[in-house]
Amino acid sequence: MKTEDLKNSQEYKYGFTTDVENIRAPKGLNEDTIKFISNIKKEPNWMLEWRLKAFNRLKALKEPNWQKPKYPKINYQDLYYYSAPKSSSEKPTSLDEIDPKILETYKKLGIPLDEQKRLNGIAVDAVFDSVSVATTFKDELTKKGIIFCSISEAIQKHPDLVKKYLGSVIPLSDHYFATLNSAVFTDGSFVYIPPNTRCPMELSTYFRINASETGQFERTLIIADKGSYVSYLEGCTAPMRDENQLHAANVELVALDDAEIKYSTVQNWYPGDENGVGGIYNFVTKRGACRGKNSKISWTQVETGSAITWKYPSCILQGDNSVGEFYSIAITNNHQKADTGTKMIHLGKNTKSKIISKGISAGKADNMYRGLVEVKNKASNSRNYTQCDSLLMGNKCGAHTIPYIKNNNSTSTIEHEATTTKINEEQLYYCNQRGLDQEEAVSLIVNGFCKEVLQQLPMEFAVEAQKLVAISLEGSVG
Amino acid sequence: MKNFYNFKVNNIKGLSAQEKEFRNKELDLFSKNGFPNRREEAWKFTDLNTILSKNFANIKNDYISLNEKKFELIKEFDHNYLFVLDGNLVSNEFKFEDKNKVLIKDYDYKNQISASNQNSLNLLNNALATGGYYLEISKDYKFKKPLVVYNHFSESIKEQIISYKNSLILNENSELTIFNYTDTNSKNNFFVNSFDYLKLKKDSNLKNIFLNKERCNCYFHSYLKNDLEQNTNLDNYILSTGLKFNKTDIEINLNEEHAKSSIFSALSLGSEEHQEIKTSINHNFKNCQSYQKIKNVLNDQSTGVYQGKIFVKQEAQKTDAYQLSKALLLNDNAEFDAKPELEIYADDVKCSHGSTSGSIDLNSIHYLKSRGIPEKEAYQMLINGFLSEILEKLPENDLKRFLIKKIGRQINGY
Repeated sequence: MKTEDLKNSQEYKYGFTTDVENIRAPKGLNEDTIKFISNIKKEPNWMLEWRLKAFNRLKALKEPNWQKPKYPKINYQDLYYYSAPKSSSEKPTSLDEIDPKILETYKKLGIPLDEQKRLNGIAVDAVFDSVSVATTFKDELTKKGIIFCSISEAIQKHPDLVKKYLGSVIPLSDHYFATLNSAVFTDGSFVYIPPNTRCPMELSTYFRINASETGQFERTLIIADKGSYVSYLEGCTAPMRDENQLHAANVELVALDDAEIKYSTVQNWYPGDENGVGGIYNFVTKRGACRGKNSKISWTQVETGSAITWKYPSCILQGDNSVGEFYSIAITNNHQKADTGTKMIHLGKNTKSKIISKGISAGKADNMYRGLVEVKNKASNSRNYTQCDSLLMGNKCGAHTIPYIKNNNSTSTIEHEATTTKINEEQLYYCNQRGLDQEEAVSLIVNGFCKEVLQQLPMEFAVEAQKLVAISLEGSVG
Repeated sequence: MKNFYNFKVNNIKGLSAQEKEFRNKELDLFSKNGFPNRREEAWKFTDLNTILSKNFANIKNDYISLNEKKFELIKEFDHNYLFVLDGNLVSNEFKFEDKNKVLIKDYDYKNQISASNQNSLNLLNNALATGGYYLEISKDYKFKKPLVVYNHFSESIKEQIISYKNSLILNENSELTIFNYTDTNSKNNFFVNSFDYLKLKKDSNLKNIFLNKERCNCYFHSYLKNDLEQNTNLDNYILSTGLKFNKTDIEINLNEEHAKSSIFSALSLGSEEHQEIKTSINHNFKNCQSYQKIKNVLNDQSTGVYQGKIFVKQEAQKTDAYQLSKALLLNDNAEFDAKPELEIYADDVKCSHGSTSGSIDLNSIHYLKSRGIPEKEAYQMLINGFLSEILEKLPENDLKRFLIKKIGRQINGY
């Protein structure tokens, strides 16, 4: 049955490329599915072999079960692993068809009407054509020798770079979801910054063609060559409509000598309704390697969406004097569960890392910081500072902190601090007294609580993120 | 891999058929997974299976205690004592106290109390434990002098596991300071697996001190389960060093209002010693307090581990919980691992933790040296200063002086 399906769908292969949109891989996770994905993307043979190797490895792996948030068992044979963008007939035709609640949130965030349409997959008119915007930017980037394209395109056009770096930070045989991604990833971004180049703008998935449909198994690879700098933005503040429940993305960053990568994420996938029904499972593997001397990787994240989030953006500090940073705000409301944190692995001499994590828990949500700081034997004079603060709103939610600290070097210093409190009543009272209502007061105080992280976001994100923080907590006080 | 242990319930004499059945069942449960390894979250930093298999050829549980050892009494301060040889209660003396207020007897295995979380070593203890004591202090009785438990192990123990259980009940408004003093003449390797149950009834007060006399080849695992009622106070002081391996697993249940507990630890480790303190403080009721301060000085190839967990139930509002672990690493081969964990479900609480690890401040060393103090002494001064914060908290003047002297010898011995 399955092979027949495959044959039927393969008929499209040489047919009309414009109709690729309607192609869907047959259900199920098997070699045929992987061959199908590879085939449809016209991937070279080495890529297919790489995927199959991952798939073979996957057979031996088990899903992790140590996390606190549990989820119903996923039937991997019942999923589609490739579905191209929907045809316009399936998409909503106007904003009237969109859930009014989402529209209200857009209004509060101040998102322009055209962008609202784009976010919901409505065909956008010529005035707001992201494709043309993207092309103008692309010209400027090409002049500087910066490669910014989809990973599929990179596999075709820059196989040497992809071969060299893909899987070098997150190996094929990593944990279950990372390996699953390696086997079936469909698309994602590829960035290469040539030596001694400073990327003139913030790169964002937003400006990439087809960005809105990167799919559930996204793969991103960013390489900053010697002496270069790049700032990359992922996601957006507006709530995203998505039908795939499982998201298992892989993000790999490589920073060579004196290079710096700044990676910012705002994640606001559908969190499920007030009773915890539905919502996205966001199981993401993000890892950066500071390979070169004096390199730096900085992760900033604002996590407000998804029913369950497991995410540990990590830094492997290999090069001497390299720096890793992690700034995070995780907000959970209703029945959301977040288990997020970072790993800082100090291998090189004089390496530094800094972790600032702010967790806010409201409703019946569970919010967890889980992190590892490890200083290996040879990482002399390394330094780590960790601060994780949790804020509890209401007495039905939970806030947890589980740091793992391993120090194996006598000249290195590790510091860790954590606090858990509720909103200070005196501060609330003070705000109320000056005419702010309860909700405004809470939003003001929470924004103050998150300030250290919000400051790290690029300008265009920071303002929206502030509003987002307030919106995510709506209805949780009073 | 060949098993490095061979345990038999039949080695224990005088068991009823029912007891045998229970113990065999527990042993089967243990045998399923054997000694814990890194894959278990509670043993993440301590691979006991590897440590034991490296150092033991065949551990058995058939040692028969000879009951003839004389022991040295501490002369520095007045005290009552229990003499426990290889886990068995041999003699006791309460000459400073009203004997009617103290009930002391052998532990009764007919009603075993086991730990709430069934870790594999507690299963093993349930299966193999013999000996141990049961001590109960009467209502309103306050001990005049501390009680020293001489925990002695015979010279001839080799490749053995010694398992026992103790129980200590403090009735309403009673008070006791207990000093667990471990000592052995044996140069051989052996493994001790103990389980202590402590119950503090309303308004009672207990201070529990742990110290090891000499360096030895002993591997220690002790589980302490503490249940605290209303308005009680429990202070633990863990000072044991010199053991090859030591894991102290403390469970404290703050079950009623205004129960207070604290754990203080000052450890100075050298050679290949491996010490772990694992705590789980369960705030089950409102208005309770807990405090933990752990300090480690690590030299040579030693490893210090601290896994502390504070759990706050939803109804445990107004909880005040604090946790701090600090380590000084003096050698690049030494290692400090920490996992200070918070799990909180109540919103009106004050919970915080901190953890630091690093080396001795070289500026301070330079400062002392520039004032004519030799380098070695300067180090010792700073180490003493680092640990003194804990040592100053020790109770009872005579006892405190004795303990500080003992610990001082251990620190300066390096």
